[in-house]
Amino acid sequence: MSKKILLATTGSPASFGAARVAFQMAKRYGSEIIVFHVIGLPTKAYSQIVHDVRTGDEVQVDDDYKSWVEDELRNTYARQIEEAEGGVSFVLTTGVPHREILRTARSEDVDLIIMGASSGSIDHIDYKGYTGSTLQKVAKAAKCPVMTVHRESAAYRGGFNHVLFCTDFSKQANHAFKYALNTARECDCDMTMFHALDVGGKVLAQNEIEDRLIEARKRMRSLYGSQMGDFKNYDVEAWEGIPYMEIVKLARERMADLIVMAHHAGESDSDEARLGSTLEQVILRASCPVVSVNKPDKV
Amino acid sequence: MPEGTLCNKQPINTDEQLKLVLNDKGGKQYYAEMEQLDVDTEKLWNTIQKTMKSRLKTWLEICAHCGLCSESCFLYQVNGRKPEQVPSYKIQSTLGEIVKKKGQVSNEFMRHCMDVAWSWCTCCNRCGQFCPHGIDMGVMFSYLRGLLYSQGFVPWELKIGSGMHRVYRAQMDVTTEDWVETCEWMAEENEEEWPGLEIPVDKEGADIMYTCNAREPKHYPEDLAEAAILFHVAGENWTVPSEGWEQTSLSMFAGDWECCKDNVENVYAAIERLKPKRAIGTECGHAHRATVIEGPYWVGREDGQPPVPFMHYVEWLLEALETGKIKIDPAKRIKEPVTLQDSCNYVRNQGLKNVTRKIIEYIVEPGYFREMAPNKEYNYCCGGGGGFNGIGKYRPQRNVALLKKLQQIQDTGAKLVIAPCHNCWDAIRDLEEEYEIGIRWSFLKPLVINMMIVPDHLKPEE
Repeated sequence: MSKKILLATTGSPASFGAARVAFQMAKRYGSEIIVFHVIGLPTKAYSQIVHDVRTGDEVQVDDDYKSWVEDELRNTYARQIEEAEGGVSFVLTTGVPHREILRTARSEDVDLIIMGASSGSIDHIDYKGYTGSTLQKVAKAAKCPVMTVHRESAAYRGGFNHVLFCTDFSKQANHAFKYALNTARECDCDMTMFHALDVGGKVLAQNEIEDRLIEARKRMRSLYGSQMGDFKNYDVEAWEGIPYMEIVKLARERMADLIVMAHHAGESDSDEARLGSTLEQVILRASCPVVSVNKPDKV
Repeated sequence: MPEGTLCNKQPINTDEQLKLVLNDKGGKQYYAEMEQLDVDTEKLWNTIQKTMKSRLKTWLEICAHCGLCSESCFLYQVNGRKPEQVPSYKIQSTLGEIVKKKGQVSNEFMRHCMDVAWSWCTCCNRCGQFCPHGIDMGVMFSYLRGLLYSQGFVPWELKIGSGMHRVYRAQMDVTTEDWVETCEWMAEENEEEWPGLEIPVDKEGADIMYTCNAREPKHYPEDLAEAAILFHVAGENWTVPSEGWEQTSLSMFAGDWECCKDNVENVYAAIERLKPKRAIGTECGHAHRATVIEGPYWVGREDGQPPVPFMHYVEWLLEALETGKIKIDPAKRIKEPVTLQDSCNYVRNQGLKNVTRKIIEYIVEPGYFREMAPNKEYNYCCGGGGGFNGIGKYRPQRNVALLKKLQQIQDTGAKLVIAPCHNCWDAIRDLEEEYEIGIRWSFLKPLVINMMIVPDHLKPEE
C-alpha cells in the first residue's frame, strides 16, 4: 500500500471526505501523510499578497500567517492526526494549486495523492486563465495514482473489500489495471474488471451490442487475465450504456469501495475534458473513492 | 536622521536583509521609516550634475507647457482630467523642482515624488509621441525613479524586487538548482505526450538560447513546457542556460541602475558562454526592453546590440509560421471575437506591431479579429505597467488605471484578449477580477499549441 500520501486539502468541508480516507489509510497501513495546502496565488509580480482561501480577503503571506493557517489545519484534523501512525507533516505554499500539488508530489516522491474533487474555487479569478480543473490537471500529469473523494459519503469505512477496475483498453488503462491488481492483492479483496460499451447518442443493432460485449469480455480475460498470476478473486463484466452511469451503477451493485480507472493524457482541450470526461463524472457521482492512474511509475 | 533598518539608501544585497524587509507586513515599518529618512541633498545634486545629460536638461527647459501631452496620458484620462495629471506638469513639478532647487528638497517632497513617479506614470512612453518637441516623460520618470531609489524613496515591493535580482539573480527566489530542476520536471511531465521532448540546459553552440521570466519557473512552469513543445515541433536546436536564464528586470522599474546592468551582464554572459546563434526571450514586454532594447546601453555595448541577435517571442513565432516550421490547422483557428493587447515595451519601444498582427492572421479566422482603438504604437498601457501592478500601496490607483483598458476591450466586444506580455496578462487578469466584465485572456503559446498540426513522427505511439 502507499507508503507516502499527499493529502491536498483546502481545509474546508469539501475536502473532509478526502481527509478521512487519507487518515484512515494512514492508520490502517502505517502510511506517512503530508498535509498539503495552497494558501493562495500571489497576485502580480513578486507581490506577497494572496487571497485567503476561506474569507477571500487579501492577506500578506509571511511566517506568522503561514503558522496561523497551519494551526487551523492542525485543529481541523486534530483527532485524526493523533491517530496517524506513520507521521504527519505539513507543506503550505502559495501558487497555482495543481502546479504546486504536482511540484510537491514530485519533490517528496509520494506514492498517492488524495484530494477532494472540488474546492469551489474553479470559478475564482486566480484560476480562470488556466483551463480545466485542478483535479483534471493533477490527474493528467501526476506520476503517481490520484485518489479523489468527492463526497463525505464516499469516504470508505475502513479497508478495501471490493475493487472495481474500469477499462477502455487504452495504454493508461493498463497502468490502472496494475494498480487495481496490486491493491486487490495487498488488501486481499475482490476485484471486478469492467468495460462499459459507450452507446450514448448512437443507435446500434442489439446483435452488434451483444457481439461487442462478448468481444470486450474476451479481451479483458486475455489482456488482464494473463497478468493475474495466482490472484483468483476476480470477475469480468461488460455492459452497454453511458460509461460513467454504468460504472457508478455497477459500483453500487457490487458494493465496491474503490474504483480504479485511467485518466487520458490525450485530451488536449481540458475545458471540454473537464465537463465531459467519464472520470470526472464518476468521481462526482460515486459513493466510494476513485483512483485515477495515468502513468506507470508508481503503480 | 540616520537611515532606517528597512528603508535606507542601501540596496538589498543579502538574503538576510531581503527576508527582513519581506517580513515587514505590507511595508508598514518600511514606510514609517521612510517618513524619517534624511535626504542627502548634496549627493542628490552631485548625482544630477553627473548623470543628467543634455537631452533631459533640454527637455526640461524647452517644455512649452502647451498641454498637448494631456490627452495622450491614460492616467490623465481616467483620473478626471485633473491638471495635476498632465504629463508635463507631473515631471516639471517633481524632477523639474529637484533640479530647480539644486537638490535642496525635503523628505516630504521626495515622498510626493515617489507617489507621482510610481503611481501617476507607468513609463509607457505614449506621451512622447504627441509632444511637438518630442519630449518623453516616460524616459524622464525613469531617470527620476533612479534618483529616488538612490535616496531610499522607492516603494517597498520594488525595493524587494530589486533585492531579489541582487540576491537570487531572478525577480523571485528561484535558485539555479530550482530552475534546472524545473526544466527537467517539465520535460519529464510532457515527454509522454511529446516523445523526444527535451529542455536542454547549457548546450553549447545551439541555434537558439531561450530566456524567460522568473515567474514562469516559480508559478507557471507550463509556460516553459509550452515553449519547449513549440521549439520541439518546429525542430529547433535550442537550449536554456543554467545561469543567466532570467531576463526580467524589476530593477528597471525600481530605478536600481547598477542592478539593471548586472541583470543584463548575467544574460549576456550566458550568451558568451554558450555561443548560441541567437537568443529568444519569452512573452514578456519589460524583459525584452531591459535585455534587448536598453540593456546593450546599460552594459556599454558600442553597437547598442546584444552579443547575438535577440528576438522577442512574437518574432520567433511569426518566423516559425512563415517558414512552415509550425503549421496551423485552419479548422482550429479562433472563431470568436478576439482582440490583441499591444505591449508598450516591445510594440511602442521596438515597433513589433505588425509582427503580432501577422500572427493573428494565422491563428484567427478572418473576420473575428477586433482592433482596440487606438492600437499599435498608439495603444494605451495595460494599466499596470512600470511596476504599478505589484505595488500594494498604489493598488487603488492602479485599479482606476485599469479603466482605460477596460473601456478599450469592451468597445471591441471581444471576450478573448491575446496578451503576449506577462505584465499585460496580469493587468487584464486583475481587470477581470476587479470589474468582472466576462473576458478571458491568453498568451500566444497555449493558443498555438492547441491549433497547430503535429507531424505524425512527433505524435506518441498509440
